[in-house]
Amino acid sequence: MAMLLLFLGMLALVLINVPIAVALGIAAIVAMLTAGGLDSLPNLAIVMFTGATKFPLIAIPLFILAGAIMNTGGISRRLIAFASALLGFIRGGLAMVNVATSMFFAEISGSAVADVAALGSILMPAMKQKGYPGPFTAAITSSSASLAIIIPPSIPMILYAVMADASVVQLFVAGIIPGVIGGLLLMALCYWYAVRYDYPVEEVFQLRRVWQTFKEASLAFLLPVIILGGIFGGIVTASEGAGLAVVAAIGIAAWYREINWNQLWTAVIDGGVQTAVVMLLVASSALLGVYLTEAQVPQRLAQAIIDFTNSPWLVLLLLNIFLLAVGLFLHSAAAIILVVPIVMPVVNQVGIDPVHFGLVVTLNLAIGQQTPPVASVLMTACSIAKENVWDVTKANLPFIAVLVAVLILVTYVPAVPLFLVKLFYG
Amino acid sequence: MTLLTVAGRLRSAFERSLEVIVFALMIALAVIVTVAVIYRKAGDSLVWYDEVAEIVLAWITYYGSALAALRGAHIGVSALVDALPRRLRVATVLVAESFVIAFFVLLGWAGWAVLEVLGTDYLVSLPEVSTSFTQSVIVIGACLYIIAELLRLPEALRAAASPASPGGP
Repeated sequence: MAMLLLFLGMLALVLINVPIAVALGIAAIVAMLTAGGLDSLPNLAIVMFTGATKFPLIAIPLFILAGAIMNTGGISRRLIAFASALLGFIRGGLAMVNVATSMFFAEISGSAVADVAALGSILMPAMKQKGYPGPFTAAITSSSASLAIIIPPSIPMILYAVMADASVVQLFVAGIIPGVIGGLLLMALCYWYAVRYDYPVEEVFQLRRVWQTFKEASLAFLLPVIILGGIFGGIVTASEGAGLAVVAAIGIAAWYREINWNQLWTAVIDGGVQTAVVMLLVASSALLGVYLTEAQVPQRLAQAIIDFTNSPWLVLLLLNIFLLAVGLFLHSAAAIILVVPIVMPVVNQVGIDPVHFGLVVTLNLAIGQQTPPVASVLMTACSIAKENVWDVTKANLPFIAVLVAVLILVTYVPAVPLFLVKLFYG
Repeated sequence: MTLLTVAGRLRSAFERSLEVIVFALMIALAVIVTVAVIYRKAGDSLVWYDEVAEIVLAWITYYGSALAALRGAHIGVSALVDALPRRLRVATVLVAESFVIAFFVLLGWAGWAVLEVLGTDYLVSLPEVSTSFTQSVIVIGACLYIIAELLRLPEALRAAASPASPGGP
């Protein structure tokens, strides 16, 4: 009963637009005061501090910073030129360039909103100029950027790893095959649209041009090698890999001599704000977590679900439906922080691999980034393309269907995400 | 100089100061991690690296949170408030702001109480640095958050009172 009242109180605060981090904190204070009286209140400060000092999460600001430097250093432009030389000869080439560049950029930035901001501002005006309809342009940019969050490195995966106590490196490895499958499916759909609506060919294929653009972008290609090679090779941790990414991005941008200092200043501060927003949620969820753990809420929920079914497939189906619903209304970081600690006991008890489930969660939230009313990536794409949200959502439905197909594949064929993990880590 | 101009300048100065701090902390974190990797690869690990990097992350959290509050960037759900009639919207913004400010007043107070207790504690890896110095970010962060909320309040109320684009904390 007390739990229900606490939940309803928190919901009421969220509905009157109290930031979710603060609503969690207030609920936790009420729980603390009820259980331990005024004497327990100083714990508030201690947990809010220790909750924000989780070492693996250091990777979040660093990957954001690396992405910001890449954006301002002319790297996006070079990547687009290479993808265009490689794929521009196919009908609807620019749409495919969009998907391909998003997938590549994902290997650097780790954030879908960063991908849309970096690539969308260059690609969307170019696509519209070539006659692609505005809603289609914004839709493919948005969906391919969200798919990118399952391609390593990925900020939602780092958050999940901390919340679920899973290996972040194994999660990164698990994202590779589903990410590539999703990217190829999105490109195939673009090709189908291009043939049906006669979208243009971008440029004639010339090996010389491919080589020239490859050379110009070669330093950018070095970056994922440094980041992922270092992390997968066990040379550095994910957080250290993120630190190296920042240094490498500064080096590359300085080499290209294209750093725009004003843009960099803004991007670093925006990155700091994004980090703070996520970390405040992490800290206040740690506060509520203390109460939830004491009250054994996740364990009781797990028992209730297991009394109903202990089939991993049915549990995954239920969790998928739940996560898709959550994704409609919550930002992906908030969803991971709120949901993962509560559902992990049931996931562990029915024998679902936490890395497998991590991919399921990340894909669900990638879809959530595309579905209004709360759809951070879609909204960013609409705002850059200056397109109506509902028109873009309509055009986006087939691309969302592709993301759902990848989700079903990942959910029910665990070998798809886990093949490489088993291969490298036994 | 009108009161509005003074308030505007105060807000700009406050925002600029927070931006400088957040920028410096972000760069400091990147430098610390990189230097630590270089030292470790050279066979000479920095013992203070993990602890200090975590503290910088906590500082980014609280200084950045105040900046996010000033910009109205914290994650919230505004759909219901947006759908309310204008007067109710303004009242809801005031209620929501009261909850937010009350939370940070409590956090600041709890942080202050803890500082007194931690007065004699020092970091494990850097015994010359007092824990009350590192934990002071809770008190300072709570105060900065409250200031940010108050500086943004007129804008939030104006937005809530306008027919088109309401806003919240």
